[in-house]
Amino acid sequence: MKNLKPLFARLNKIPRAALITIGLFVALGTFAPWLAPQDPSAQNLLEAGSGPSAAHWLGTDHLGRDTLSRLLIAANTSLVSVGSVLGIAMTIGIAMGTIAGYHRGWVDDVLMRVVDVGLSIPSLIIALAVIGIVGPGYWTMVLALALAWWPMSGRISRAVAVSIMSKPHIEALRVLGASPWRIYFNHLLPGTIGAVMVYATADAGVAALAVATLSFLGLGIQPPTPEWGQMLVDALPYLESDPRQVLLPGLALTAAVIGFNTLGESIALNRIPKPLTRRTLAARRIEVAGWGKESLDAK
Amino acid sequence: MTHAPVLKVENLQTRFKSVQRGKYVHAVDDVSIELYPGEIVGLVGESGCGKSTLGRTIVGLEKASAGRVLLDGVDLSTLSGAALRNSRRALQYVFQDPYSSLNDRQTVGEAIDEALLIDGLRSADERTRRAKELLEQVGLPHTARDRHTRELSGGQRQRVAIARSLAVNPRVLICDEPVSALDLSIRAQVMNLFLRLQKDLGVACLFIAHDLALVRQAASRVYVMYLGKIVEHGPSQELYDHPGHPYSQMLLASVPEVDPRVEKLRSAPLLKGEVPSPTNPPSGCRFRTRCPLAVEDCALRAPASHVLSPDHNAACIFAPDLHGGKRSALIHQAA
Repeated sequence: MKNLKPLFARLNKIPRAALITIGLFVALGTFAPWLAPQDPSAQNLLEAGSGPSAAHWLGTDHLGRDTLSRLLIAANTSLVSVGSVLGIAMTIGIAMGTIAGYHRGWVDDVLMRVVDVGLSIPSLIIALAVIGIVGPGYWTMVLALALAWWPMSGRISRAVAVSIMSKPHIEALRVLGASPWRIYFNHLLPGTIGAVMVYATADAGVAALAVATLSFLGLGIQPPTPEWGQMLVDALPYLESDPRQVLLPGLALTAAVIGFNTLGESIALNRIPKPLTRRTLAARRIEVAGWGKESLDAK
Repeated sequence: MTHAPVLKVENLQTRFKSVQRGKYVHAVDDVSIELYPGEIVGLVGESGCGKSTLGRTIVGLEKASAGRVLLDGVDLSTLSGAALRNSRRALQYVFQDPYSSLNDRQTVGEAIDEALLIDGLRSADERTRRAKELLEQVGLPHTARDRHTRELSGGQRQRVAIARSLAVNPRVLICDEPVSALDLSIRAQVMNLFLRLQKDLGVACLFIAHDLALVRQAASRVYVMYLGKIVEHGPSQELYDHPGHPYSQMLLASVPEVDPRVEKLRSAPLLKGEVPSPTNPPSGCRFRTRCPLAVEDCALRAPASHVLSPDHNAACIFAPDLHGGKRSALIHQAA
């Protein structure tokens, strides 16, 4: 057991590392337009493929564009597209899931058969088919991925909604005579969103990978918008002569995907560091413990 | 009881679809009970006899397949939508498990505030005042309003749940084993609080429990339920002293004595076996499969209800004998 302790201690730090990675990704992605030191599309063929220097901290690509700026803007692209995909998919999924979970019966049956159909087709195939029909483009890709993604969140939110609906606190509301609107919007929906968000975090990594995959194949984000998957394709011919160009976007993408997966898992397992420290929690417990214990005869 | 009952349940039946195709589980079968204003009535029986389902059907959490629930003479089955919700609000339910009957995301104040809002109290100041008053009634400090329910202990949560039920000014409170999930030391406190509030507010109460001693202490009348049917009903003192149904006798005899020496000498005819499946209830008298007195006649037809004394009925062919104490010895022998 003694030998295992340091191992456990290190495991406890992993959620923190994931939190920092994703925090960094979100912060850099959000503020990328202001943070990027140079125009990510400005070409300078004289400096093409040059290594790190004072002017270009991470070097330049085959067209002489600043790699650091491109990586940062790509983080922004990735963040926005993943956010939109999950946002649209979760909205549809949660709406269908909660309606099915609230009504049960035939509504539930019909909606879940639709979800079954969606789930039975691999998501990338759906996305490829939609893009194949409509043609490649930024919003086409987002919509195609969202279309492929919602059945999963629909299934999960239906399960969460069913479990919430069967809880006595919802029954207590029914007995109090709460209207269906109140039960749905004040209790079922917030509860479901909270729980499904946990899955969304883990899904974000997969979605980021899917965006990169489609862009890598030239079906997603189109040049000149910088994107990690696209940067990988651009750098591929120089893999042997200048691996730096492939490694940098590859590392950024890997960090984001692993970060999201680990963070999602940590949230699901409740391993995220709490804002309330143990001491304040203990103090609140002690205060609460005394309530209602006074003799009732006193009254 | 000269005045009209506040709650009248007539021939209520609740059935669930069985796992066996085309069969039904009759959890509550042809039950009629009455509750008069301001009284506490006990409902006792083994686990699985349908007492919780009866309570849940009365407040509308389960759908009745037959029968009526009359609240102040108004048949609730004739109402629907908002009218039903508003009428039924006078019927409140206190759940057994205080850990799941409150929303963990809410604070104590929000939970009570929501009940008041549902009841149609629009003014926020008025709701705050009333919430403070309710918390005081259940023995919690005002500061409890800002706390999340998950920070509270079981007893404190049950106090909050009671306060929330009382927030809508109910006429009838149905308590489904409200203290059985609590620690023994907390149980008495919550029970005392409950009895005091019941007396102060004059709410009629149906007290569902398997703790017979608790029911004897609290209730003025008792209904004994077995396999979805009421087998005996009477004033609690009378029923506890002279039970008229073999099931009630054996149920009462199964309460252990506190004194270990007395307990050793006690030759209780303990109830053997399990409650039969309500999917295929025994023909005739439902208790006959476990009854030490059962005769052939018991299997043929359901026993009629015998009036043993004013307001005391038991559904057993031997009820008059048992009530008079003639056959009690027989039960002991047979068991």
